Amino acid sequence: MEDLLIGLAAPITRGILLGGLYVVIALGLSLVFGVMKLINVGHGDLVILGSYFAWAIMGWLGIDPFLSLVVGVPLFFGLGFFVQKFIINRTFRISLDAALIACFGISIIVQSLCQIIWTPFNRSLTTAYQLETFALGPVNISLRYLLNFIGGLAVMIALREFLRRTYLGRAISAASQNEPVAERMGINPNRVYSYAFAIAMACAAVAGVLQGLTFYFSPASGPPFLIISFGVIILGGLGSMAGTFIGGMIFGLTQTLGAYLSGGSLMVQMLAPYLLVFVILAVRPQGIFGR
Amino acid sequence: MPETAVLSVDRVTKNFGGIHAIQNITFEVQAGEVLGLMGPNGAGKTTLLNIIAGTYSPSSGRVNFCGRDITGLPAHKLCHLGIARTYQIPQPFTSLSARQNILVAAKYGGKKTAGMEHDKIFDLVNLSEQKDMLTRDLATVSLKRLELARALASNPTLILLDEIAAGSSDRELPRILGIIEEIRKMGKTVVLVEHVMKVMVEAVDRIIVIDKGEKIAEGTPGEVMKDEKVLAAYFG
Amino acid sequence: MKIPRLTTLASVVVLVVLALFPLIGAPLSWLNYLFSFFIYLALATMWNLLAGYTGLICLCPHAFVGLAAYTMAIGTWVGMPFQVGLIAGAAVAAIFALVISFPVFRMKGIYFAIGTLVLPEVLKQWFNYWRPPFGTEYQGGGAGYSVIGLAGFSLGNKYWLALAIAAASIFVVHIILRARLGLGLTAIRDNENTAASSGVNIFRLKLSSFLIAAFIMGIAGAAYFIHNPKIQPSGGFSISWLLLPLMATVIGGEGREEGPIIGAAIVTFLRFLLADYGAWSLFIQGIILIVVVVAMPQGIAGLLRQVGAYRFPQRLFQAAEGKIRRT
Repeated sequence: MEDLLIGLAAPITRGILLGGLYVVIALGLSLVFGVMKLINVGHGDLVILGSYFAWAIMGWLGIDPFLSLVVGVPLFFGLGFFVQKFIINRTFRISLDAALIACFGISIIVQSLCQIIWTPFNRSLTTAYQLETFALGPVNISLRYLLNFIGGLAVMIALREFLRRTYLGRAISAASQNEPVAERMGINPNRVYSYAFAIAMACAAVAGVLQGLTFYFSPASGPPFLIISFGVIILGGLGSMAGTFIGGMIFGLTQTLGAYLSGGSLMVQMLAPYLLVFVILAVRPQGIFGR
Repeated sequence: MPETAVLSVDRVTKNFGGIHAIQNITFEVQAGEVLGLMGPNGAGKTTLLNIIAGTYSPSSGRVNFCGRDITGLPAHKLCHLGIARTYQIPQPFTSLSARQNILVAAKYGGKKTAGMEHDKIFDLVNLSEQKDMLTRDLATVSLKRLELARALASNPTLILLDEIAAGSSDRELPRILGIIEEIRKMGKTVVLVEHVMKVMVEAVDRIIVIDKGEKIAEGTPGEVMKDEKVLAAYFG
Repeated sequence: MKIPRLTTLASVVVLVVLALFPLIGAPLSWLNYLFSFFIYLALATMWNLLAGYTGLICLCPHAFVGLAAYTMAIGTWVGMPFQVGLIAGAAVAAIFALVISFPVFRMKGIYFAIGTLVLPEVLKQWFNYWRPPFGTEYQGGGAGYSVIGLAGFSLGNKYWLALAIAAASIFVVHIILRARLGLGLTAIRDNENTAASSGVNIFRLKLSSFLIAAFIMGIAGAAYFIHNPKIQPSGGFSISWLLLPLMATVIGGEGREEGPIIGAAIVTFLRFLLADYGAWSLFIQGIILIVVVVAMPQGIAGLLRQVGAYRFPQRLFQAAEGKIRRT
């Protein structure tokens, strides 16, 4: 029995830490969904684009991927603002379905672009410290998993403070709760959407670095992240940041425990979170914290 | 031996999360009756109607229709059994014409004995000229009449009318009263929610008054209008 | 004797002419091109049935295609003739649709969309890792599963197969729209609550639509892999199978019968045009998708209707019909 618990300690710790990565990805998706009621089906692909960008900068300038975020975050922010303003905002005038189709178009464009520029082969962000581990009690913790967790916490706190303390942040919060009221307060919804999408893209850039350090990626790696992050936000309940955080942990655990309990099966590792998403959608779409 | 009531609502309660919309309501409707549901705004009248129509299930309690327990049955099943309803805000099939709208109810409303001919239905509700127009080109007044036409098209035994007279002019009101009378003559049973007093007084056999989710009075229009609790509910 | 409507007559004529192509020596490149067009048309018509008429934006056509194709391939390894494999594949796709309909139809709107998106991803991963315990010689390592037993099935035969599938798909939608089912589906699309209170069994009708679409998409996809008989998870479950009918419907126009035909024609043309450009092909298609959905959301069919382009041929048709009836 004790052996079992000790054996479980490692995948459980890893799962919780990994959850941080999913929190970062989910926060971006959740922001856009909360404000615009739109699921950007290209979100996963944008995260991968972030990974490729960091990879390119690393190859070109030789700098650490976290440092590349100095360029990456503003770049992605601007790109997101542009995309929302000139494309998605226009589709809102037509219908929500049209917006969904546009997001799908973005997904296709990003996937094929990555394939054109960087070929379909697997890549990863390799750094000196990437494979470092250190011991915490009986458990060996991978540095990159710890970075995921820290990243998740950092982005969540930063976002929460931003939404509470800045004027723009409060405008975004207002818009995601009640658009007509926000509009009467003099907030231009389209502007708010653009900033929201831009922030989501910035999250994607950060997630891209974290993801690239943790997993191998290829142009087709996007959709799994979309599905998992969607699962995170509905499991956690829409609009609840704490819920999103816990949701991320749960999905991380699902993967690591699934892999551990199946003897390292890659297939189970990939399929376990999908199964969870499907079950949530079918049984309790309002999640744990939702009403 | 007493006839089975067409509709029997037995201690029905409905809660939405923390909100107690309907509390322990019980009443019966006999065949051929026109029953009115009255009450201040937010009293729970439409919720009650929705429960009878199958849109919601009650949190507790039972609903019986012609002796059969219909609690929790889905809306389409209830339509097949003989319950039809109108919506307070018209909900037509926007890409279809008026005629096609009622055709849906006629074709899917269940295998009952043949109902009214569609043209006669349109005559009854005074929509004959708009029969073949698309619903998106119809005025709200016409759409409300279309609601009624669609409800009749499935040849129901019980018709639930949700504020069918709301917003109608002084000229239209007698027409609506006439339609309700025609429906009664067909042998159908009617339960209607209404704020327009003239309907309550002239077209209705009995009234049930609901306030804050509870039944506070039941009786003929004359009795109910003098009831102290009713006056208190409306005028405080 | 009833004189058939002019449009029906015209359609039959077109069908016969197309069927004659292999016999009158049309160039092989034409047959190839039209083969793809017919497959794409079947997919587009079915997607339009789901999205345009039933209101179901289902993001899982590639689940049906891949599943049917793999079933057919594996079936041929155990000695099933590929013709039977086609039907078996389509049947498996339909059974899959039936099984998932119970959880999936409880999801609404965007939840439904993502729920259906998960399915092909799951299947793709499954076929990445799982191998059937037999037929190893056909499993092809990285090159993909082979469909065997195709010797003697000429391009002309494949052409006819595809033509039959496309014609069947259009015919099926045509019949549905004129039957009670079509009325019910439109009612569901316009207002589910009103449809339910008018006696429409929403689940059963959506399921009918879903099963029909799954079957025909399955058979069309499997037929495609008869012509390209190596199946890999990334090909069988490629997102292309979703992009294709989606583009055809967006470009051609949703919810109208001729929309998928126009759209499929354009998409086939585009694909052949971009065929040599590898990943650029998808890139350009993505851009076109966005441009069209922003600039021309009603699609070409919708556009034509708006500018009254149909009125002239319609009047022409009606006049001609009138003349024929009088003589």
